[in-house]
Order: sequence, then structure tokens, then C-alpha cells
Amino acid sequence: MPKSMGAVKQAIPAEIGGEMDVAMAEHGAAAQAVAGRKVLPIVEGVVLVAALIAPLVLQDYLTVFATRVIILALFALSFDLVWGYAGIMSFGQALFFGSAGYGVALLARDLDITNILVVLPAGTLIGLTFALLLGGFLLLGRHPSSVIFVSLGTLTGSYAADRLARGWYYLGGQNGIPSISSMTLGGYEFSEGPVFYYLVLGILVVVYLLCRFLVRSQFGLALAGLRENEQRIAFFGYKAQHLKAIIFAIGGAIAGLAGSLYAFHEGFVWPNMVGVVVSTQVVLYVLFGGSGTLIGAVIGTVIVEGVSFWLSDNYRDVWPIILGLLLLLVILFRPLGLISFVLGERERVGSFGARIKENRDAAP
Amino acid sequence: MANAFVAAFEILSFGAIIVLIVLGLGIIASMMGIFNFAQGEFVLLGAYITYLAYANGLPIWAGMVAAPFLVGALGFVLEALIIRRFYAAPIVAMLGTYALGLIIRESVRGLIGGFYLTVPEPIGGSIDIGTMHISAWRFTIIVITTLVMVGCYLLLSRTSFGLRMRATLENPSLARASGISTPLMYGATFAFGSALAGLAGALIVPVFSLYADLGIRFLIQGFVAVMVGGVGSFIGPVAGAGVIGTLSAALPWIMAPVVADVLVFVLAIAFIKFRPQGLIAGKGV
Amino acid sequence: MFDRTQLSRRRFLSNFAFASGAVATGVGSWVIPAPWANAAEAPIKVGIATDLTGPIAYAGNADANVAKMVIKEINGAGGLLGRPLELYIEDTASNESVAVGNVRKLIQRDKVDMVLGGITSSMRNAIKDPIVARGKTLYIYPQLYEGKECTPYLFCTGPTPAQQCDEFIPWLVKNGGKKFALPSANYVWPHTLNVYARKVIEANGGEVVFEEYYPLDQIDFSATVNRIISNKVDVVFNTVIPPGVGPFFKQLYEAGFLKNGGRLACVYYDENTLNINQAAEIEGLASCLDYFKVLTKENPFDAKIQTAYEKDFPGNFLFAAGSAATGTYRGLKLWEAAVKEAGKIDRESVAAALDHAKIAEGPGGPAEMVPGKRHCKMKMYTAVAKGGNYEIVARSEGLVDPKEC
Repeated sequence: MPKSMGAVKQAIPAEIGGEMDVAMAEHGAAAQAVAGRKVLPIVEGVVLVAALIAPLVLQDYLTVFATRVIILALFALSFDLVWGYAGIMSFGQALFFGSAGYGVALLARDLDITNILVVLPAGTLIGLTFALLLGGFLLLGRHPSSVIFVSLGTLTGSYAADRLARGWYYLGGQNGIPSISSMTLGGYEFSEGPVFYYLVLGILVVVYLLCRFLVRSQFGLALAGLRENEQRIAFFGYKAQHLKAIIFAIGGAIAGLAGSLYAFHEGFVWPNMVGVVVSTQVVLYVLFGGSGTLIGAVIGTVIVEGVSFWLSDNYRDVWPIILGLLLLLVILFRPLGLISFVLGERERVGSFGARIKENRDAAP
Repeated sequence: MANAFVAAFEILSFGAIIVLIVLGLGIIASMMGIFNFAQGEFVLLGAYITYLAYANGLPIWAGMVAAPFLVGALGFVLEALIIRRFYAAPIVAMLGTYALGLIIRESVRGLIGGFYLTVPEPIGGSIDIGTMHISAWRFTIIVITTLVMVGCYLLLSRTSFGLRMRATLENPSLARASGISTPLMYGATFAFGSALAGLAGALIVPVFSLYADLGIRFLIQGFVAVMVGGVGSFIGPVAGAGVIGTLSAALPWIMAPVVADVLVFVLAIAFIKFRPQGLIAGKGV
Repeated sequence: MFDRTQLSRRRFLSNFAFASGAVATGVGSWVIPAPWANAAEAPIKVGIATDLTGPIAYAGNADANVAKMVIKEINGAGGLLGRPLELYIEDTASNESVAVGNVRKLIQRDKVDMVLGGITSSMRNAIKDPIVARGKTLYIYPQLYEGKECTPYLFCTGPTPAQQCDEFIPWLVKNGGKKFALPSANYVWPHTLNVYARKVIEANGGEVVFEEYYPLDQIDFSATVNRIISNKVDVVFNTVIPPGVGPFFKQLYEAGFLKNGGRLACVYYDENTLNINQAAEIEGLASCLDYFKVLTKENPFDAKIQTAYEKDFPGNFLFAAGSAATGTYRGLKLWEAAVKEAGKIDRESVAAALDHAKIAEGPGGPAEMVPGKRHCKMKMYTAVAKGGNYEIVARSEGLVDPKEC
């Protein structure tokens, strides 16, 4: 089997199949994979350093903006886990993001609980629960559900939640819940600024490392197999649907964590947070950056949010159109995301003993 | 008695509107296997073209007739340039069409500026039957929808064009080998689906004002309707649209509107889960 | 642009080239810089946060225009405390998330001395925290709303339910009937307004037949129309907002509601919303606001503002009371009076002065803040839509009390 085909088969999610992949592989990226250079850790390192020094060089209000971007990157991470590693196209990720946001907002408003050690785990738990419920319903069952069904099911879930939030007056209806007080730890209040930024960054780094560990473990290997060929993995004895449900739940938990942070940072929650627009936005972040790499999700978020921010300042009237055009271009010409410019195909999934494989493939 | 009749008419007319919008979506999904996230925006374009005709002093009928052709032509062009690349990956197709829809929607928003614009009905007033008043235009919509559906069915099942379309759908390589231009067929199908959406937009703009987010509203309902009805046939999406439209219009009569809203979707998803092939399974017309 | 050595009042007034509008700075939004480079004092920065894009853009743009007009007038008269005013405009885009980000720019980057803006209540709720609590800045909210906003340093210059209902509803009972229906959009403004309206309706011998809430984008109202007709409702006290209101009124008209003598009532209806429906569909619709354009025929000050506005800003963004434009004008003028009285620009002093500020002339008449309540007394007018235009049918006897906080 030709080297490039091998790399392609290993790395690309099952959905994007066919002729497109071979064409992709033949563009520069495969050449780098052959060279065996590990680009991924370098990219991760660069991003981390940039993130660490950002508040020191940015003005105050830009640090606040950056904090928001980091929270969204956490959210995008949850989606990348679910799509890039398990092939579940969840068009409703905002359901978990927003529900957790609403949950902690209600905690703060009705029960006056803002202690960070309570609200963040609560948000994570809410995300986890909803994801277990929805994922269980959509994914488990006698017959495996089609990809389209899952994506539309999640989309509908998010839309229904949006309608519910909009209609339920206790949740504030159309207005949502405003004026959420800040998170506290003892007497200290986390207000927006460098402290909040580093807090969020710390959480992102921890979650990122956990995810990285997860996808490179045995579980991750099974997931990779699942994404490649679900039937084959099932024949091996793995319960494919259960694996999917587990990763979906984990994704939901992370989204919940992001949602609770977002609620406290922005100071309000509203129905859009559970709705379709935010759900599709996170899909676009990951698409832009590159799915299946974890860091791609982060980069994609930073780029899309940053470009939107800059565009909305300078091209007030037409910036959504420009954004749409950029996204279309990426989807058309770089469906694997911007990170495919630097990252070889082989690195997308992780090595799993690739060193041996490389040597084997390199043999004449 | 009269009350029940009026209620039935109102529900039927709303159902007809949904059917018209979903028809195009269903045809594209059934024939080409991709869910066109930009379908709502094609409806928006149909409405916008009608408004343009009205705003520039032309008779509204002119705009309504022009809309499906113009939108269909745009659909053909978009298919050739962009959609074509997505056939191998339905998920990427959804995202690509979403990006397209975003571009169209924001362009229209830029042109009409966030206003809610109205277009008067070409056939205004009401038809009075005894003490009951029935909106004349809504009645017209029902009539036109029925005609369009019958026309589509005949086109697909009785004409050679329809035959070729079905052949391409069932076995593209064999169809190509037989001399049918597959790319042309796909283009024509997409154009057809878009034209239907444009027609829907044109017909409903007197009922619902024109505004930039008009399309989003119908999109989710459309997808759910297609899945409930069953992808792969002609009558499937129609049936689905009928069910969803009727439910959406009927439930608010017996419960609080906000509950009705959510319930329709919950029921739909549950239904699809337990009957994944939808109401009407099977391919073909 | 100016020759500083020969700067004289006449010279700088003639150099005043404002008509071109704002300057978009590289990193920012719209900044309208103060036209005179008066070296002595730094400019006073006024922040406007409003919906320049989105479904409420028709109102937001009108408000931004009014702000430009008022600031230009103040600068033309020598500024405030001898300092020029500089205007910073940010778009809230009818999207609360975007709004919060942009408002932060006003507070943290531009460091404005005051923010005026927000139109819908949900927008106000979203941005008031970044402005008042976290940003420690004065906030003026110019739009008619549901009341109950008693946050310190937040001043409201638009009509409240008391102002819109106390005289309006008795008029409706007399000129419509006793049976009321309250079809409403499902968010905080209708919910809270209806509580107040119900009280007044029942106090005047009326009866609320039903009160219902619909999702904002509901466009099919057949069930509601049926309920209205079959219950023989006299007055539809409507709080459904766009996009639903157009189809709702149309469906009501088609069912013969107006033909049978029914009256429509809608307290946010102004000149901008007249265009949503055909004239016949809203014939007789009654509204109660602080200003209607037809007042320009009898009131020279109103005519002056209206003409000045239309000269500078011809087009689709009308100067109307339901779109917060009059509230914006009123708010800025009251603020100007407060700053003059305080002699300083810090929040404490201005808030203390604004607490009891008055203006002798404003759109619709004079206005004065009720001390301690942060709401504004103003004249109210009841008008009826006839053939696509408004006709005033009732006016308040003097300034109406907002009865808030």
C-alpha cells in the first residue's frame, strides 16, 4: 500500500471519504509526515507561550476579550473530542454549554451560591448529565444510529432547548438571566481581568492535558479505530455505541465547565447560549483550526474570534459576509483545517507506536 | 361547526406553507443525500425578489413568477461551483451550505437593513362563507401548493426528464454509462429544489413580513419534517411536512404556545429514533 | 485642520465640518472627535451603545443620529464646562453577547464618562452590569420599558407603564369597550407591563378576557385570533413585537376584528412601526407615547427638532418616540443640565445633579427627573392611526409621574 494512502487512511475521519483525501494527502502535508518530524508539540508549545504572555502585552479590555476566547476554546475542545476523535457530529454542543450556564446562573440568583469550588463542578456535572441523557437516547439502542440522525438529533435538541429557554419565564424568557454576580473564593471575587484570564488558562491547560492523555490511551486507540471503521471495531468486540456515548458525555462535561465559566465572565446568560447559532459556531471553530488535533480547536477559536473582532471593527456592515466567505473557502479548500498547513497527517491521531511503523514503511 | 371549519382551514393553510418549504429540501435530500442548510436562505431570496418587484413598482405577480426562476438559476450556479464538491461527505456538505446560507443571509440583511418589510397580497381580502372569513390569499397558497405538488409528481414519474433524474439517483454510474449527463442532472435537481424554495418564499412573503432571519425559522422545522417523513422518496418529505406543519399549527389551540413549540420537536425526534426510516420508507417516487 | 494661533470662536465655528459624520478610527468603532482643539481641557467623552445592526436597527440608528445631532448642537454652543464633547458609538447589534464586548470597549478602552443606550430590556439587562457595576460609569436608558429598574446610577428617560397606562387605559375603556385581551410576546417587558395594565383595566371597570404569551418569532396566530373573535373582545392591548406583530394584525384584520368595531392598542407603536402593516389593517390603532410627529404642527420646539433631524438625517431612520429617539434626546439634554449644575464630570457629582435635573424644552414638552427615583416626568399623548398617520386624541394635563422605585 503506498505510503500516502496509509497515512490518509489512518488519520482522516470516516465522514470525509473518497477521492478528496488522496488529493489532500498529496498536498505538501504528507511529505512532512514522511520526514517524521513531530510538529504537534512545537505548535502546542508556541500556543502556550503566547497565551501565557498575552495579558502582559495586551491592553485591559483586550485581556478581557482574550479570556472569553480561551473559554470558547475550552468549549471547542469539547467538540473536537466528540467529532475529531469519535466521529460524532454534534450540532448541539451548545445545549450543554448553555444549560450549565443557566444552571450556575440560577444557583447564583436563587441560592446565592457563587463559590468557585461549588459552581464549576456543578456546571461540569450539569453538562455531563445532559450529555449522558441526550447521548444515551440518540446513540444507544438496538440499531446503531446513523450519523445524520445523531447530528440532526443534537441540532434539534439544541433548538428545542433554545425554544424552551425562550419560553420559560422562570429562566428569564427572551431576556435570560442578567447581572450574575462574580465567582467567589472565600472573600475574593473573580472579576474580569488578568486574574480571571490566568484562572481560565490554567483550567484550559489542565483539561487539554487530560484530553491528550485520554486520546493517547487504550481508550483513545479504540476511539481511533471506531472513527476509522466502526463495523470492524464492533467485530473485535468493542461496544462501539458505548464508547461513543462515553466520549459524548465527557465532551458534554467539558462543555458544561466552559459554560459555567462563560456565564460568570460575561455576567449574563440568554437563550442563544443553548441555541443553534452557538452550536454551529463551535463546529466552525474546529473546522477552521483542524479537527482531531485538540490544539487545532484552540487555534481555530482564536483565529475565528480574533478575525471577527477585527472585522467587526473595521468592516462594520459586511463582516458577517466576509466571515462566511472565509469559512466557505476553508471548507472548500482545506477541509482539514488550517492546521493541516503545518501538521502532517500522521500526527493528527498520535503515534501509537508509529516509530515502528515508520521504520517498517521506510523499508524498501 | 363553523369554528371547527375555520380552525381546520387555518391549520391546513399553515401546513401547506410548511409543505411548500420542505418540498425543495426533501427533494435535495432524497435525490442527492445532502441536507441543504442554505434552503432557508433560498426561501428568503424568493421573498426578497418579490419584495424588490413590489418596491420598484412592478406587479407583485411578476415578482412571484420571477422568484422561482431566479432562485433556481442561482441554485444551479452554486451547485456547479460549490455544492458539487461535497457529495462524498454529507457532513461537510451541511457545513458548506451553512456557510453559503450565512453569506446569503447577511447579504440580504445588508440590503434590507434589519427592517421588517411588508408586501401586500396580490389577492387580498377574505372569502366569506356565511359567517366565516377565510383569507383569500391563504386559500390561494393551498391551491398553488397542491398544483405544484401534483406537477412535481407528474414531472418525476411521467416525463422522460423525471425518468432520467430517478435513474441518476438510483445508479449514477450506470446512468452516466447510458449517456445521461450526471453533473447536469445533479445541477438540475439542486436548481429544482432551490426553485421550490424560492416559490415558497415568494408566496409566503405577504403572510409573514420580509426580514433577514426568515430562513432560519423554517430550517429546523424543515429538517425535522424531512426526517420524520423519510428521506429517499418524493412523498416522504411531503408527508413529514404535513405532519409537522399540522402539529405546529394545531397544538397551540389546546396548550400554551411555548409548550407546543418544544413538544413538536421532542415528539419528532422520539418518532425518528424508533422509526429511523421515517413515515414512508423506500426510494423512488 | 485649524490654525491654532488664530483660533477664535467665529473661526472655529466656521471650520466646523461635521456633516460628514463620524471618523472610524483604526482600532475602534465610531468616534466623533471634538472639533475644536482647545488645548486647555480634555474632551468629555460620551458613549452611545445602541443597535446599529439587527432587527432593532431602525431604532438604534435613529438614536445614534439623535446623539450626533445633540452633541453637535452642544459643541456648537461652546461645549460643556468649556470642554468639547466627544462621541463614541458602539454597536450592540441586537445581540447581547456582542453588546457586552462592545460596551467593554467603551468603558475600558475609550474610558467614556457616560453611556447612553440599550433599547430592548434584555439589552439593558445585559449591558448594565458592565457599565454600572463593573465599569462604575453613569448609564442612561432612553426607551419605554416595563419599569422596576432601580439600579443606582442608572437613569431612565423613557415612558414607564404608569405613564403609558394611567390615562390611556381609561380612554380605551371609554373608546373601545370593557373586554380586553392581552396577547403578548414572551419576555420581561410584556409580562411586567401586563401586571400593571391589568390593575388599571380592572380599576376602570374593564375585564381581562385572556392573557397569553407567544415565542418571539411566532407568525401564525390563528388560535389567538379565534379566541379574540369568539370571546367578543373589544380592545386588543397588544404587546407582541416584530416579527410577529405584522402577521398578527393582518390575521386579526382578515377575521373581521376591526370591521366589527374592535380597537387595537399598542403602546410602542410609533411612526416607524406604521409601515409594518397596510393602513387598513391598523385603522384606529391607539398608542400612548411621549411624542408624535404630528405635534410639530402645533409645537414650535418639536418642529425645530424634527426639521433639524430630518435635514441632517434624511432616510428611513425616523425620529420617533417608540424607538427611543425622543428618550435619547431627553436623556442627553438632562445630562447636559446636570453636568452644568455639578460643574464636574465624575459620576457621583453628575448623578447627584441628574437626580433632580429639569429641561424646559424637549420633544413633546418639558421633562423633569423625579428626585430619588431616577425616572422622568414627561407629557404623554394618546394618538390614533388614521389612514396611515397619527392623530392626537388626548393629552395629559401636565407632566405625568412615572411612579417607579
